[in-house]
Amino acid sequence: MPVFKTPFNGYSVKFSPFHESRLAVATAQNFGILGNGRLHVLSLPPAPASPLTELISFDTADGVYDLAWSESHDSLLIAGVADGSVKLYDTALPPAQNPLRSLQEHTREVHSVDYNPTRRDSFITASWDDTIKLWTLDRPASIRTFKEHAYCVYSAAWNPRHTDVFASASGDCTVRIWDVREPGSTMIIPGHDFEILCCDWNKYDDCIIATASVDKSIRVWDVRSFRAPISVLNGHGYAVRKVKFSPHHRNLMVSCSYDMSVCMWDFMVEDALVGRYDHHTEFAVGVDMSVLVDGLMASTGWDELVYVWQHGTDPRAP
Amino acid sequence: MAMRELVTGGAACAVPGSSSSSNPFGALANALIGSSSKTQERLKEIPSSTTTATEPPFYQDATAEGRLRGLPGAEFDHSFSHHPTPQGSEFLRGFRTADQNGLADAWDEIQRSGPPPPPPALLDHRIPPPQLQPTLDGPPQRVLSNFLHSFVGTSHGGIPFRPSPLPVLGLSEGDKQCIRDRSSIMARHFFADKSEDFINAQVNALLSSLDIDGDMRAKGPLPGRFRELEDYWNESQGALRPGPPQADGWVAEFSQHRIDHGDPNAWAHSFEQQHGANGWASEFEQEQRLVSAADQMGGANISNLAAREQTRMLAHTLAQNNDPKFQNSKFLQFVSKMSRGELIIDDNQVKPAALSSPGDWATEYQQQYTGGPSWADEYARDQLSHGPDQWAKEFATEREQSGPVDDQWVNEFSKLHVDDWADEFGRQVGEGAFGDGSADSWADAYDEYLNEQVVAKQKSDASRGVYVFSDMNPYVGHPNPLKEGQELFRKGLLSEAVLALEAEVLKNPDNAEGWRLLGIAHAENDDDQQAIAAMMRAHEADPTNLEVLLALGVSHTNELEQAAALKYLYGWLRHHQKYGTLATPELSDSLYYADVARLFNEAAQMSPEDADVHIVLGVLYNLSREYDKAIASFQTALKLKPQDYSLWNKLGATQANSVQSADAILAYQQALDLKPNYVRAWANMGISYANQVFTSASLFTAPSLVPSLASGMYEDSIRYYVRALAMNPKADNAWQYLRISLSCASRNDMLGACDSRNLDLIMLMGECMVLLTPRITAFGALAEGYPDFGKNLHGQEVGKSNMVYWS
Repeated sequence: MPVFKTPFNGYSVKFSPFHESRLAVATAQNFGILGNGRLHVLSLPPAPASPLTELISFDTADGVYDLAWSESHDSLLIAGVADGSVKLYDTALPPAQNPLRSLQEHTREVHSVDYNPTRRDSFITASWDDTIKLWTLDRPASIRTFKEHAYCVYSAAWNPRHTDVFASASGDCTVRIWDVREPGSTMIIPGHDFEILCCDWNKYDDCIIATASVDKSIRVWDVRSFRAPISVLNGHGYAVRKVKFSPHHRNLMVSCSYDMSVCMWDFMVEDALVGRYDHHTEFAVGVDMSVLVDGLMASTGWDELVYVWQHGTDPRAP
Repeated sequence: MAMRELVTGGAACAVPGSSSSSNPFGALANALIGSSSKTQERLKEIPSSTTTATEPPFYQDATAEGRLRGLPGAEFDHSFSHHPTPQGSEFLRGFRTADQNGLADAWDEIQRSGPPPPPPALLDHRIPPPQLQPTLDGPPQRVLSNFLHSFVGTSHGGIPFRPSPLPVLGLSEGDKQCIRDRSSIMARHFFADKSEDFINAQVNALLSSLDIDGDMRAKGPLPGRFRELEDYWNESQGALRPGPPQADGWVAEFSQHRIDHGDPNAWAHSFEQQHGANGWASEFEQEQRLVSAADQMGGANISNLAAREQTRMLAHTLAQNNDPKFQNSKFLQFVSKMSRGELIIDDNQVKPAALSSPGDWATEYQQQYTGGPSWADEYARDQLSHGPDQWAKEFATEREQSGPVDDQWVNEFSKLHVDDWADEFGRQVGEGAFGDGSADSWADAYDEYLNEQVVAKQKSDASRGVYVFSDMNPYVGHPNPLKEGQELFRKGLLSEAVLALEAEVLKNPDNAEGWRLLGIAHAENDDDQQAIAAMMRAHEADPTNLEVLLALGVSHTNELEQAAALKYLYGWLRHHQKYGTLATPELSDSLYYADVARLFNEAAQMSPEDADVHIVLGVLYNLSREYDKAIASFQTALKLKPQDYSLWNKLGATQANSVQSADAILAYQQALDLKPNYVRAWANMGISYANQVFTSASLFTAPSLVPSLASGMYEDSIRYYVRALAMNPKADNAWQYLRISLSCASRNDMLGACDSRNLDLIMLMGECMVLLTPRITAFGALAEGYPDFGKNLHGQEVGKSNMVYWS
């Protein structure tokens, strides 16, 4: 299946919600510790054997930790940069005319960006400055800042059904559920005993959320009764970096970890680990599933490689 | 169009891979021509899944600078004019990519909280340079990059690494802070298994080999450990973040004194001048830096020893992981080599970062306080209050005791220090030491957080089966508390019944029936944790009691504890005289949901007329969230046992959980017809009523469709929650959900009363609410029809949390 070699260490990969053969990758030099960043827009080849082709790339003065495709414009990308800025790119424009905007409000690394899938005019960013910020495309400044977490916020994700609800995962070992119409967080889930690096909502059940933690586990929660997780998924050997529910199957989710593997899980069955992919040779830190093509997955890692493959096949197969 | 093509040159003018291949002519053309009508059309196109632009010259077909013109204030409207607006220059400043000359400056900017970069440097960036080297050739980047990667590369050939380029690296303060902060945050992800000390050692080894001080304020420490306190002090200092500006001030001052060979007393004085008496914490932080700096000057040998020790630990860890993948990981080698590099650097000033852990500062302070005569005494004399000293000492003592046991810290901390600290804080606030109210709200939030932790702790205690008895129990000494308890239970006075039954089991700890009834009372009173604890005692007293086993299975299902639930449900089957033969003993070692469900299906086939089997099946299907099957099982059971009120409640709860709130209310109605005092059914009904607002069962959902109706529904649900709390003020869930409903109904005025758990106040305000919305529900009227109901010890009624419970 197609592979792409990035000059820097991969940090995040996302499929376009508009073009089934397009995806974007966020990268950072020197493992994101110091140096530049680059955003690549890639295209899947018509034949699976050929490599991924780069449509365009954009450079930044610091590592790009995450990106999100706009749900309203097919060419608009939002990047979360380690220097604390949030940058908007129009991939239809040459690099010289990009970024369209650089929103400099976070005081520390921006670690995650999520575009509102239901309202389509807003997005949230989560930062190591302990805050989450809400932005809309039509404003040059953030609309709101959510500051309750006591440590880095690693991830924030919109609820797929309720336009005003999102969840945030933090190194303070909690997940918070927020309603942007409310002054404070609606719910605090002390989800793990170690830092929580990622959270994602089930796309079919708006009450179910998954958390990925440094404690190597993924936990699945029902926000209506969060004293105990619905399910605990063990199998990763190191901290779990990202978790993402399938857009096509209610019970499936994919995760990637510092143990260098990408795993597919079915959280409703006893043997939850459905598949494990060991194709990366460094930390696997970015993973995504295509909304447009059932079973199409992409991953990236610090081995500077981007893989795209169909679930069930070998990502390294030619 | 042609002109634009000509001028911009499309992709041909851009150097592939080079970032800032800006074409000034193209920019000019863009500025002149602006957006075309074609771009407007493109915007209106409905996005499709077809690939519109897969050709390599990706942006060539997009003659569409204005595609996103719909975004007001988009920077490129201005950015290429010769007199950039503030926004425009902001944009350019933000996009500084691979400009070789400006790279170092760009990196300076990374030092976010530091002083702003000097203005002259920014001028260089107003107009992007026309052409660039494709490689990043700037002095820091090239060397560092080569350094890091050759570092990694040489490791494969076994060539000893010579860190000779290090002195010329010239990393800026911003770079160093980046490396320091990011590596310490990331190290906590990589080395989660290791102790805090190990992680610190690891990071310090890496940093010191790069000639970076580890003791600057880094965002390194474990979550929440001491940051609240530090933030508080920083807030009191009026600083947003632990501030490099302060640090810079200190550095400047320190170097002055160093030149002067200044004695400690001298700098202690200047600290007071600089920060005033209230700033003891920040003073201390800085003092700590001074101490460490002094250590560096005086104790280089000691630091070297420490560094060697760190390296040894690191090597040990890496050796532990035998996975060849890990042995080959460039990143881990990078970390490892970096730290080993430290042993080689001996000719230039090594700055060991032995004190980078903020956790060490208190200890350090204490040592210094007892051992260092000069500044510490000076400091103590000048502090009128001894509170801070005391606090710091206690803190340090505790720190020594608790050591690296990370997960205990919140409890330890809350138990031992919050009081002192909070007093101290209150005193400071009372003195008006801090002008702004943000400190107040922060303190509240922090208290809240600690309370939550304590509550969570208590809960987990209970879930481990520790029954918590009530403090004041009027039934202790009652001649026959069991009979009294049964009577109270029958009347539906559950909280009273709980007290009587507690008296019974205190008197006869082996009375299985007493414990069982107590458990049921708790379950019906909406406290599954206590219910489980009581049932487990009943189970101990009588391990084969089927009712107890079933109740335990149900309660654990309510708590989503699948393994425990399966264990008890399987136990029910095994001890059942009819179905016991189905249960194979070897199965009990490893219970899987599918096996248990299969056994019960077999049991149901054996005797389809046994309602109990169908009930258990219904519970099992709830466990697996197959609500349709669960509903069918309960309905089958109800045909056999139509008078079982708890069964009706189970059916209702299942329907509610599968988003059939209207059906659920009918089922609860049945339950209440059979048992008017059934608290849990009342509670569940309230929830379902509130949930009808939503298209789903989610509780924080937007009442977006019909706001007025939604708000009415919320207010109804509030009334149910209030009633539940009136009857059982210990129902933590109900408090939580009450709060949510209050905020969803925009009753922010009542949130304070809710947070302080002042039910009287809420009810008082709730009266107004009912008057405002004269919606007397059928259920409210029904409740008033039962005089018993609402006249228990506390005087009223019902409500319950959102995941609907059953028993």
